[in-house]
Amino acid sequence: MQSQIFLVSLALMFLLALVFVRGVVAPGAPLEATRVNRQRSWLLWGLVMIGLVLSVASLRSWPHRAAGAEVLVVNVSGGQWWWETDTTEIPLGQEVEFRVTTEDVNHGLGIYTDDMTLITQVQVMPGYTNTLVHTFEQPGRFHLLCMEYCGVAHHDMVNEFQVVEVQ
Amino acid sequence: MRTLSQIPDNAAQQSATKTAAVIKLSIGLSGVVFLLMMIFGLIMRAAQAGWVDLDNALFYQLLTAHGAGMVGTATFSGAAIMWYFLARHVALNATVYIAFLGLFLLGVVLVLGSIFIGGFGGAWNFLFPLPALSGGIWEVGAAVAFCLGYISIGVGFLLYYLEVGYKIARAYGGLLGGLGWRFVWHGDVSRAPPPTVIAAASVTIFNSIGIIFGAIVLVATIVNLLFPEFAIDALMAKNAILFFGHVFINASIYMAVTAVYEVIPEYTGKPWKVSRVFVIAWAVVVIFVQGVYFHHLLQDVNMPKWSMVVGQVMSYGSSVVLIAVTVYSTAVYLKGAAIKWDLSLRLLVLGVIGWGVGTIPAFIDGMVAVNKIMHNTMWVPGHFHTYLLLGEVAMAFGFAAWLVRGRAIRETSALDRFAFGAYVAGGGGFVLMFLWSGASSIPRRWAVHYAQWQLQSQLATVFATVVVLATALLVAGYLRGLLRRGTEQ
Repeated sequence: MQSQIFLVSLALMFLLALVFVRGVVAPGAPLEATRVNRQRSWLLWGLVMIGLVLSVASLRSWPHRAAGAEVLVVNVSGGQWWWETDTTEIPLGQEVEFRVTTEDVNHGLGIYTDDMTLITQVQVMPGYTNTLVHTFEQPGRFHLLCMEYCGVAHHDMVNEFQVVEVQ
Repeated sequence: MRTLSQIPDNAAQQSATKTAAVIKLSIGLSGVVFLLMMIFGLIMRAAQAGWVDLDNALFYQLLTAHGAGMVGTATFSGAAIMWYFLARHVALNATVYIAFLGLFLLGVVLVLGSIFIGGFGGAWNFLFPLPALSGGIWEVGAAVAFCLGYISIGVGFLLYYLEVGYKIARAYGGLLGGLGWRFVWHGDVSRAPPPTVIAAASVTIFNSIGIIFGAIVLVATIVNLLFPEFAIDALMAKNAILFFGHVFINASIYMAVTAVYEVIPEYTGKPWKVSRVFVIAWAVVVIFVQGVYFHHLLQDVNMPKWSMVVGQVMSYGSSVVLIAVTVYSTAVYLKGAAIKWDLSLRLLVLGVIGWGVGTIPAFIDGMVAVNKIMHNTMWVPGHFHTYLLLGEVAMAFGFAAWLVRGRAIRETSALDRFAFGAYVAGGGGFVLMFLWSGASSIPRRWAVHYAQWQLQSQLATVFATVVVLATALLVAGYLRGLLRRGTEQ
């Protein structure tokens, strides 16, 4: 997923820079006012239409899932500079609701696969319980990393758990 | 309406001379601080690359100094640019600018002292309650000094905007008159205020509001530091901090763009005209730049759902306005004009392209679904370095080159071409490494990178070195130009 996002972003960035430079250096007289207005209108309304489609498509299914009835609750607490979970083995295919709290400052709970790809995350804030619903589709070892700067050992705030196949 | 032509000649001349001197000083200081902060950034990337052994506490102090220093200097240089050009349209009191400069420098001393003497490393955004909970790394006094430094800078900016707002209001029939909003619906738009005045009125409104929110949360943080039993809601504090931070850093570019409005016409021979679309675009900016900060809170699931929708939609909408109005207009003004591409024009145009291009990874990360796997990875510094390093900072150096250019526009010298090329290549490669790192899920603000993340950091270190060398050439060129012009006069 991240690779596709990266490639699409690069393509759009390159395209914008290219269109700008080619438009400026291409030989020809300055554009007439009526043509400028027409071009700008097309550009503006075209981008607005793309935005509408993108917004509806990306928000129709709300990205922060709500937990279903058969959810497994996993409590995670954090502090400077540790994570603690009440479950270290999660069944494969089981919907999980992580209920995350902190004892001191803001943290961020990032869940990484064993090859260090971020699959989901949620912010963690003093005075609040933040929930994160996820269903693991691959077994193996997963890592908890801190995603919000929390002091001198921020990078050491890691832990792990297993997703296991249950017969 | 009172314009500059009605001000007595001598007073106007004296004020212009004084303004030019303090602005040149401000831009010189900005250049030197930009260079120093880039060196801090280079050291951090080298440490993440595994090439430099850096103590963790020192890494996070450098991180704090780099963030605070870059945000402060970008906005300071933007403010210097806007003051310089706004003074062409309204009579600004140079003494107010000197007071602003004094308060800014006092703030810088306090912030640097808190970091490098007091050991403060709570990051530039001092997320509550981290300043009070350092884990034994810094004392309360250091955190208080850091907050007081910010407050000093904020008070300076409020003074600055008070003068700007007051003078615009006097000359254009109120601050609303300076925004030109009445020309959206009716009236001859050729009678609207000049682009720089509309930009200045807009920034004055939104950045003043942002700074007031920042001041409130800073005072609350200081009270919490001194009286720990006084606590504030962490989510409310985060909202206030991110609102202030987002608005403040965006104000830097919206102020610096006045250089594009005022300088590019010298090259094209066509004045930057105010159209109805231009007025509407700035009206949208005033609203969107305040509402869009919600996109920083997309993983704070206790925020209301509507705020996340607003954050996503306004994030995209801000990009549309930027690309369809500012970027497109710049291309139109340049197309077909007989232009001599000197260093100043190259950097200003780079600033517009960098700003526009940087908005793409920004709005993509502003989508809730994407943010789930990109938030607080290196993608975030990737997008903001694109529109700051290749945007605002490029505009500031473009303005600097224009200040010392002399009256005649000359073709770019070989040395300037080299500096510009190195800046573009180094800067482009540097931000690309950030984006690649983000796509590789590398978290931001980590002092130590795992071995599998170090290739991106190593390549970034090489590109950062090129940027630092290019910037050193640009700063040296500016200082040399100042000396040359001083001798000529």
